[in-house]
Amino acid sequence: MKTLKPVDIVAGCFLALLGLFLLYASSMIRVGVERALSPRAFPSAIGFLILVCGIGLAVKAWRFRGEDPVIHWPDHGGLKIILVSLILLASYIALMKPLGLPLSTFLYVTCSIWYLKPEKWVTAIVTGLVVGIVSYVVFIELLQLSFPMGFLFEG
Amino acid sequence: MSFSFDYLIQGFAIALTWQNLFWALMGCLIGTLVGVLPGIGPASGIAILLPMTTVLPPTSAIIMMAAIYYGAMYGGSTTAIVVNIPGEASSVPTAIDGYEMAKQGKAGPALGICAISSFVAGTLGLVGLTFFAPLLADVAVVFGPPEYFALMFMALTLIISLSGRALLKGVISMAIGLMTALIGQDPLTGAARLTFGFPKLLAGIDFISVIVGLFAISEVMINVELKITAISQKITNWMPSWADIKQCTGAMLRSTAVGFFLGLLPGVTPSVTTFVAYDLEKRVSKHPERFGKGAIEGVAAPEGANNATSSAGFVPLFSFGIPTAPSMAVLLGGLMMYGLQPGPMLFRENPEFVWAVIASMYIGNVMLIILNLPLVGMWARICVIPFYILGPLIVFCAVLGTYSIRFLAFDVWVMLLFGVIGYFMRKLGYPVAPMVLATVIAQMIETSLGQTLLISQGSLLILFTRPISAVFMGLAFLSIARGIWLQVRLKPPEVALEEDD
Repeated sequence: MKTLKPVDIVAGCFLALLGLFLLYASSMIRVGVERALSPRAFPSAIGFLILVCGIGLAVKAWRFRGEDPVIHWPDHGGLKIILVSLILLASYIALMKPLGLPLSTFLYVTCSIWYLKPEKWVTAIVTGLVVGIVSYVVFIELLQLSFPMGFLFEG
Repeated sequence: MSFSFDYLIQGFAIALTWQNLFWALMGCLIGTLVGVLPGIGPASGIAILLPMTTVLPPTSAIIMMAAIYYGAMYGGSTTAIVVNIPGEASSVPTAIDGYEMAKQGKAGPALGICAISSFVAGTLGLVGLTFFAPLLADVAVVFGPPEYFALMFMALTLIISLSGRALLKGVISMAIGLMTALIGQDPLTGAARLTFGFPKLLAGIDFISVIVGLFAISEVMINVELKITAISQKITNWMPSWADIKQCTGAMLRSTAVGFFLGLLPGVTPSVTTFVAYDLEKRVSKHPERFGKGAIEGVAAPEGANNATSSAGFVPLFSFGIPTAPSMAVLLGGLMMYGLQPGPMLFRENPEFVWAVIASMYIGNVMLIILNLPLVGMWARICVIPFYILGPLIVFCAVLGTYSIRFLAFDVWVMLLFGVIGYFMRKLGYPVAPMVLATVIAQMIETSLGQTLLISQGSLLILFTRPISAVFMGLAFLSIARGIWLQVRLKPPEVALEEDD
């Protein structure tokens, strides 16, 4: 789907389904004591709005006749970079608790720079070390925020 | 409570304490850096740092956050002029003539006039804020729940109608934002809403996670696709000549008026006013043919409008508690985090706080011109930090900022999810601003609607029978009608303008 029209049709259908699902989920909310504005009212209204907008978007795109704008998707290389960057970020979040903030930060920053610019591996390690140490000194020691320390430090 | 010099002087006394001066300076430095660095805008910059300011007293924290916002307005032009990469959408008009000047070897004077124009417009905008905000707060004292609901409804419709051709996508963006904010327990009844049986969703989704994801993470994703060119010239002569300054005086004053008065309206962000100011300057110029080829007024005008709009945005924020742009929405969230409810009562109940923040902005503007004029070469060099270093550092700050809101890894996963959503929204032409604003004000809208219905015993007619709310509702419906008219008139499929603030 390289142009906007088919994407808008698919997105519109998806949104219409989301709207329906929200309407169903809203009907499951327990009301309890009667109030001027029921806790179901707002979610239901939003569900209905999303349903209508989704149908509107799909229909508008379906009926559109004209030059269809091209979506600037990344090329194969760009897509790979984005996916790997997201995997690295997801690993960073997942490893923050077991490894702790300083170590996971060091690994994330080093791996990311290394991946984006393989020839700059020294810069990657030095930057990773500096950021990891700064995260420990500033946020854990100085500001005493409750970031995870990981098994190495909590031992 | 109308304007009083006594309050302003008291505000200066608080803002001039060493502690507050230090945090204002930090805010100015960080703000300029945020503006200079492509890939991170003021909204994400403030959102990332907001949770970390919890160690500060509220006044110092908000002084710093505000300084980041207006500091970013100073710094945003640097990348636009030096490497023709506007850091924010509002810097696009600056890039048109600024980069042309840089190619002619006049990058220094272009950056210098940016700083001077920003200072003039920023300071004049602050004078406007000083007088307008308490005046409007006086008016807002008579506001009840119907007026507040109507005002917020109008703000949302204005922001959506400014999505231009992407009206439907603007509505969808707003609806998803409202939906996100409703996840969790109903504040009045305690009923679980849209949690789908997941206990972690009971605590709700924090709007900071949403904003950081939408702005910072999606910007990083977009930026890994780009390659930034290296700076080719060394900037030595940074001061514009007196003739340049004289030539730009009219542009600075006109752009201040345009930026300030348009900036009072919800949805009219600097990315709108800078284009209006640039266009106006081109129209009034005796030599419009020079525009686009390195006209210095073409640099001064958008920069002036940019800063005047950023000052103007504080007027509705302080007086009504209504954010006009995503950055203002984040600042509103910051105020709420500290238990401060912006609106008319803020001036009555916390005058020392609000006047200290306003006074600090005058001081911050002086700090910024000192930081920006002599150090312009340094900022210009910073803007070409390679993205392979900058990207991971932005993500690190984003993770840190999001995690430190509630110290829950769940919030960081939400940030990642909204980063992906934001990426697709940008690619598919969905405006981000309605979603951000809706996420922040959803709770207030629902509460004020609930109270309105309680007053009126369930009738929505009250919104049209009380004069102030009737005016707001009328304006809201007018903006809806305008949006629909634009839809009918413009046939192409929905694509929103690239936006930030």
